[in-house]
Amino acid sequence: MKISTKGRYALEIVTDLAIHSDQEHPESLKNIAARRKVSEKYIERIVKALREAGIVCSIRGAKGGYCLAVQEDRLTVYEVLLASEGTLVPVDCLIQDPDCGIDPGKCLTRSVWKEMWNAITDTADEITVGQLVKEISMQSKVAIDNVVDK
Amino acid sequence: MKVSTKGRYGLRALVDIALNEEGGPVSLIQTAQRQHISLNYLEQVFSILKKAGIVASVKGAGGGYRLARDMDEITVREVFEVLEGRFSITDHDSRQLDILGKTVKNLVWDEIDKRVNMLLEGKTLGHLVRESRCRERGSALFLTDEKSQK
Repeated sequence: MKISTKGRYALEIVTDLAIHSDQEHPESLKNIAARRKVSEKYIERIVKALREAGIVCSIRGAKGGYCLAVQEDRLTVYEVLLASEGTLVPVDCLIQDPDCGIDPGKCLTRSVWKEMWNAITDTADEITVGQLVKEISMQSKVAIDNVVDK
Repeated sequence: MKVSTKGRYGLRALVDIALNEEGGPVSLIQTAQRQHISLNYLEQVFSILKKAGIVASVKGAGGGYRLARDMDEITVREVFEVLEGRFSITDHDSRQLDILGKTVKNLVWDEIDKRVNMLLEGKTLGHLVRESRCRERGSALFLTDEKSQK
């Protein structure tokens, strides 16, 4: 019961694009792959899903590449995970007919899984990519200051 | 990201035991029937729960299983960790994480883990038992209402 590498890398790619690209300066998959330490082929597959979901756009041409299609402050972690990973439901019977023979209205444990699902989606929905970018820029400054101090 | 049948069926069967143990130990055969779980599978799960000190078996005529402790002292988190392992939304990442990777981990993955684990910690078998009794009472009331209207 995990978010796979696909969802994990998707969130990193989107955050990476928010930092390293804009409409005028799209970023290449090669550079993203190098920074993320993930194969370019895999990055390409994930970016394709993000593009289809309207989160990332591609810009053609000699200096083409990718950038975010939406504002980072309006893009939630939940949207990125939904596009890459699909629904984050911990048990299938919350979204489809149960296969266990129990009437969902009488299930003794349904509330546990429902609340678990809510906790996961609520958390992801409260965090924006913009917040991640701000925290990263703050952490980077701290890292640079530490180097200078030494 | 799914909870396995072990965690789903195991927790459900435990709540069933808690609901029915007032009259003495509960036979696993009856729990298996009520919860539509194969007896064979349930026996395997209960041998794990017994080793973990969550249930105790009572031998002899009228024997069966009972909770090893008060239902209000057994948290869903404890049961979940015995059957599924500690909840974590992601697997261990073997990459050397940079500032971006670390920030995403701290702000998103660790936060989801924290909230879900808090939720599981705050819920006991006792809560689920009372929830189920309320539901039954609610539907019984509903049925008598219907009858009195006729």
